[in-house]
Amino acid sequence: MSFLMNRHTLTVASLCGLLLMLVFISYAVDVRVFTRIATTLCINVVMVVGLQSFMGNTGILSFAHIGFMGVGAYTSALLTIPAQMRGMALPDLYPFMEGLSASPILAIFLGGIVAAVIAAAVSYPLMRLSDAAAVITSFALLVVLHTVMLHWSEVTNGPRTLFGLPAITSLPLTAIVAAGAIAVALMFKESRLGILARATRDDETAARAMGINTPRVRWLAFILSALLAGIGGGLWGHFVGSFSPKAFYLKETFVILGMLVIGGPGTITGAVLGVFIVTAAFESLRTLEVVLNSAQIFSGQVVGVTEIVLAFSMIAVLALRPGGLVPTREIGDAIVGLIRKRKG
Amino acid sequence: MIEITNLDVRYGAIRAIKDVSLNVQQGELVTVLGANGAGKSTLMLTIAGALKAAGGKITFDGRDVTAATPEKMVRYGIAMVPETRDVFPDLTVVENLRLGAYLHRSDKAGVMADMEKVKDLFPRLREREIQAAGTLSGGEQQMLVIARALMSRPKVLLLDEPSLGLAPTVVDQIFEMIRELKATGITILLVEQNATKALQVADRAYVMQLGEVVVQGSAEEIAGSSDLSALYLGG
Amino acid sequence: MTELIQFVIDVLALGGAYALMALGLVIVYGILKLVNFAYGELIMVAGYTLFLMDGTGLPWLVMAAVAVLMSIFFGVATDYVAFRPVRAKSVTAVLITSFAFSTILQNAALLFISPRARNIPLPDVFSTTVTIGGAVTPLRNLLTIAATIVMLTLFTWLMRRSILGIAMRAAATNFTMARMLGVPANLIISSAFAISGLLAGVVSLFWLGRIGSVVPGIGLEPLLVAFIATVIGGMRSVPGAVLGGFLLALIDTSLNHILPQDLLKFRDAFTFSFVILILLWKPDGLIKGPASGQRT
Repeated sequence: MSFLMNRHTLTVASLCGLLLMLVFISYAVDVRVFTRIATTLCINVVMVVGLQSFMGNTGILSFAHIGFMGVGAYTSALLTIPAQMRGMALPDLYPFMEGLSASPILAIFLGGIVAAVIAAAVSYPLMRLSDAAAVITSFALLVVLHTVMLHWSEVTNGPRTLFGLPAITSLPLTAIVAAGAIAVALMFKESRLGILARATRDDETAARAMGINTPRVRWLAFILSALLAGIGGGLWGHFVGSFSPKAFYLKETFVILGMLVIGGPGTITGAVLGVFIVTAAFESLRTLEVVLNSAQIFSGQVVGVTEIVLAFSMIAVLALRPGGLVPTREIGDAIVGLIRKRKG
Repeated sequence: MIEITNLDVRYGAIRAIKDVSLNVQQGELVTVLGANGAGKSTLMLTIAGALKAAGGKITFDGRDVTAATPEKMVRYGIAMVPETRDVFPDLTVVENLRLGAYLHRSDKAGVMADMEKVKDLFPRLREREIQAAGTLSGGEQQMLVIARALMSRPKVLLLDEPSLGLAPTVVDQIFEMIRELKATGITILLVEQNATKALQVADRAYVMQLGEVVVQGSAEEIAGSSDLSALYLGG
Repeated sequence: MTELIQFVIDVLALGGAYALMALGLVIVYGILKLVNFAYGELIMVAGYTLFLMDGTGLPWLVMAAVAVLMSIFFGVATDYVAFRPVRAKSVTAVLITSFAFSTILQNAALLFISPRARNIPLPDVFSTTVTIGGAVTPLRNLLTIAATIVMLTLFTWLMRRSILGIAMRAAATNFTMARMLGVPANLIISSAFAISGLLAGVVSLFWLGRIGSVVPGIGLEPLLVAFIATVIGGMRSVPGAVLGGFLLALIDTSLNHILPQDLLKFRDAFTFSFVILILLWKPDGLIKGPASGQRT
């Protein structure tokens, strides 16, 4: 057992080491753009690892993930926008909510909890569905969440931009939360529940025959995933300071999904690696777009090239390497394997 | 006509067929016997192109068809009647038959004539022609699947366990019909668990066990050999 | 009475468009057991085709025919780009690749045309209204109903009478057996995508006719509608898709009448919550499809 612990500790340590390296480089380089990119990257680690804990373990694609990110962001905003700004930021706010307030750090975690509670309340029936129906209803759930965010102006300021969140999210904070998310997701994956969830993924019928309560297992994974998404949303909200509901919709879903699929939904290592690779590719392409636009080679603005490239990469990965870059073995397993081989 | 040499078929890591060689001559009725899990159905599906061979070679009329797709195999003249008795349950009897003649769809008159012929062969199908195939009895479904296979005007008919799960009187009818089909000159490869019945109609027989051919010979030789039941029991 | 007529026409027109959309999704799902996420973009493709032909002086019907053809073309292209590379892997994989294809099309529109709405040419009949039993309704609604009837009849005839249709129905229950009868797999799959594109193309004319313009994200709503209608109706059932389409239209239209103004903006949230309730009661949808077949 201690040997198993060892293997997982190694995985967490390696992945956190990667984050630590990012933080160090960022401080060494000390360029604002780089720090911004690194911070976004860490937030995306929280999001992608969160999606992994549902999708990787149950094998079901969930579109609702980004919706819960929105829930977290808005909850945290409600709790932290300074009293003197509330009148402007949220003109229609319910009177009883005006007194709500929490420290930003606490608010971020409460945002995660609210997302988890909402996920717990609405998703149980959906977990009975399989395959296509499950995905389609999760998509419907995303639309419901989006519609609510878009129109509940009392709480979200409607389709307009909500501003005034204290910008407290720093690179070290996001790196710490990302490390925590990695540890939690790995613990879940290797826990009894995680193993049961993976059993339902690999063979639903056999899992049921073994007496596994599939909806319940999936439901718990879904709640964990929403919790992490909510926290990621809060972190992001306090990073950008202002946002509108359209930040939590299909475009963002596509990026998060792309990171997970390219990295490998089956492993935490893959999820983290996917974030790093896609971020690097995205930032280079975005730079290219900017260069192209300023050089005015094309008559109009060059937009959407990054998405197109990401889309083709996703198709290529799924066609050539369906499990992603890191399909089954966590980095800890690989290291242990290497050491063993060397010992012979 | 069909020549199989050193065929290997795998399901993942499991070798379902090991080094099987077998041949069927024009106009012959050859039967493959064996217990459950001997690899008989796998063999049939591989010939029909529905499974891919991992090794070995299948030729038909001198042409290498080892890697041919199922749709190609029908075109070459091999019609498959699978053990799972795959009627299309939501289609009517006539629609099932029309689909059997998919290859000859431009020859409308010919298809109509064929349809009359098989309905003469199986009068029960004529009675039920506008019924959904899923509502037929097991024996009727078996007739339909065979009739549908004949609609493609095959040179070779692959019959996989046609008597499986049918009442004894129906089994007798089915074998009577196989005898009639043989009389028309069509080549038949018949897989059966009901060895006694199969050997009564067959010219030659192969016995398979755990994916390998263990005995082969003329139907009389195999029927006369005393250790047939031992082979079935895996002894 | 007038209001009832109005209501019935609204439901039938909206339901017709929904039903045809749902049908296009089910025809592919029935055969491949895979969901096409890029389906909504066919509406966008048809819309931009109309936009690009604006000012060419062609008669509108010719432009409409070209738009439908483009929708069919891109429907079949979906198969080649998103489905074939990963077919038989998993539902999830194809959902992701078709999501990716949808993103490619949308961003291509963004890149090569514009993020802003573009007006499309429409014939005059689309903006005229008629009075039936005292109810004033756009002629477009009646045309939608007529087109639905024509398309459903055509579809039924194709599936019941033609050998291709019979083969497609057969392939939906047991693809391997259909192939063992000589039905070419690729022909069946391409036909399913082509029919899917045809249905989306026809719907697009009325869908865009209602809005009058096209934007890169226009495909989302019709996609959702098709998704939800098929889930309600039963993913693999053709009558289910039609029923689901009309039912969804009935729910939408009723909510339009029932909900007070300040709740109306949440209509989609209500609709989808309702759908989730239906699924609680019947997880497989209202109509069970044909006997299940394995994925190929």
